[in-house]
Amino acid sequence: MTARSRGARAAPGRGLEYAARAAAWGCALAVTLPVAFLVGYLVYEAGPALGGDLFFGDVPALAAILGQRPVWNGIWPACAGTLALVALTSAMAVPLGVAGGISLSLFARGRLRRLLRLGVDVLAGIPSILMGLFGFALILFLRRAFLPQANTCLLLAAVSMALLILPYVVGATAGALDALPDAMRLLGPSLGLSTWRTVAGVLVPEARRGILGGIILAVGRACEDTAVILMTGVVVGAGLPSGLFGKFEALPFYIYYTSAQYQTPDELNRVYGAALVLLCLAVGLFLCARAGSRLVEGRYGMTEAMR
Amino acid sequence: MNAKATRVPDNGLPPGAVMAARGLCVSFAGRQILSGVDLDVAGNALTVIVGRSGSGKTTLLRALNRLNECFDGCRTTGRVLLSLDGRAVDVHDRDFPVTELRRRVGMVFQTPNLLPLSVAANLTMPLRHVLGMGKAEALEAAREALVAARLWDEVKDRLEAPAKTLSGGQAQRLCLARAMALEPDVLLVDEPAASLDFMAARAIEDLLSGLRERYALVVVSHGLGSAARMADHLVVMRRGQVSARFAAAELARGEALMQCMEEVF
Repeated sequence: MTARSRGARAAPGRGLEYAARAAAWGCALAVTLPVAFLVGYLVYEAGPALGGDLFFGDVPALAAILGQRPVWNGIWPACAGTLALVALTSAMAVPLGVAGGISLSLFARGRLRRLLRLGVDVLAGIPSILMGLFGFALILFLRRAFLPQANTCLLLAAVSMALLILPYVVGATAGALDALPDAMRLLGPSLGLSTWRTVAGVLVPEARRGILGGIILAVGRACEDTAVILMTGVVVGAGLPSGLFGKFEALPFYIYYTSAQYQTPDELNRVYGAALVLLCLAVGLFLCARAGSRLVEGRYGMTEAMR
Repeated sequence: MNAKATRVPDNGLPPGAVMAARGLCVSFAGRQILSGVDLDVAGNALTVIVGRSGSGKTTLLRALNRLNECFDGCRTTGRVLLSLDGRAVDVHDRDFPVTELRRRVGMVFQTPNLLPLSVAANLTMPLRHVLGMGKAEALEAAREALVAARLWDEVKDRLEAPAKTLSGGQAQRLCLARAMALEPDVLLVDEPAASLDFMAARAIEDLLSGLRERYALVVVSHGLGSAARMADHLVVMRRGQVSARFAAAELARGEALMQCMEEVF
């Protein structure tokens, strides 16, 4: 075979390579463009409403933030409600989920392990409205059984929401630990470290990226889900969350409710404003998690450049 | 050639040995890996295990400090005896904590296996948690171990740097230092030079040869040449069994080495 004919044979391959490269770029754009369009559209529509008024209405900002005066026509109570809900939900779901993932990956064996995995998968597949119904049914049960004064509240919403996002955290933790090489699993025991030390000092730090990824996903979900809180304690005009057993407002619910009931174009603009704020909140939490993971990286002696 | 390990009373170790395996069988999920292995590990000597891939060398090493048990479906029968203050204990004995066994029988893996920590913390973390040392004491012990592993001069200015920034040879010596810092009686070393270039491999080999004054070493090796250079005792594995044993004096004569090559290849 001459060099020329070999070159001619290679040509279609190169064409394919160009096509694949173009397709890859196309796919990347197909994902990025809608996001850019969405954010642009949100900003455009929310533009007129953006400003201190959107958050606090006609109440002075400081008085509103400190809760000295109630805010009736701003989204500040909904922001505070969402933040409280996400914080409470994460406080329950993250430790429980990470611990569950650890036990699932490292300790459960045989039939029990298969059963637990099935349980986590089923939990992950439950629609959020069912989780809301579960919370509502729980309150009905409590009222009839032994707590007649029980009512839907922030705590109940957080419990239901934690149940919703738990499988994400469990799944991500177990997956990240499963992916560790055998040698890494043997390292702790080979040094005579206790099981607890091996898990906390070697395996979890090694798997931290996957675990953090799952936590970020889960927290994002807790930010935006409306169906769960709809039936478990969110109301319009509750004001700032008064405590674990009080009603609360939340951004996704405000968006859902107002977009269905608005009467003036101004109100619709405020909905877009709230959506933009929710997006920023989610991105903010994501950046916090990233910063947190950087901190952990530093603690474990790794930086971005060295990987 | 001494094809059989020394016969010993049921509860004792042969003279000069710090560790011994008797009738050791290991299977994973029903697949037999080791069948009836007898092995003596002499104190202050270097025992080299050679054999083809899949002959059970690594499994034998792991059986000595019960690391096989970290895998699902592992079944071990037979006895592994360890000399503990002059008396022999079975390592499978319920009264003998497995963490203490693994501290006394240290292990270095085939590929450098680093903790996700700094160079110094790779040594001090186990020291603090396994031996219960304070910070200053652990740092001093770490320094001594790094000197013994001939790594101190290379890393003394970057103790706080991430361990993952070390080169392959340095990382492997760090692993060796980490195992030595825990003051083991026996050091198990699994093909330490497998992933290294010639010079780095030779450096590790020299280092191991020097360490026999302080520990009983069991080294798995792929290279017959380096095995013959290092070994006080050479054990040849074949299909999960010990097929031949040679002493250093025998290896010096050519025919023993030839026979060994036939056994292995």
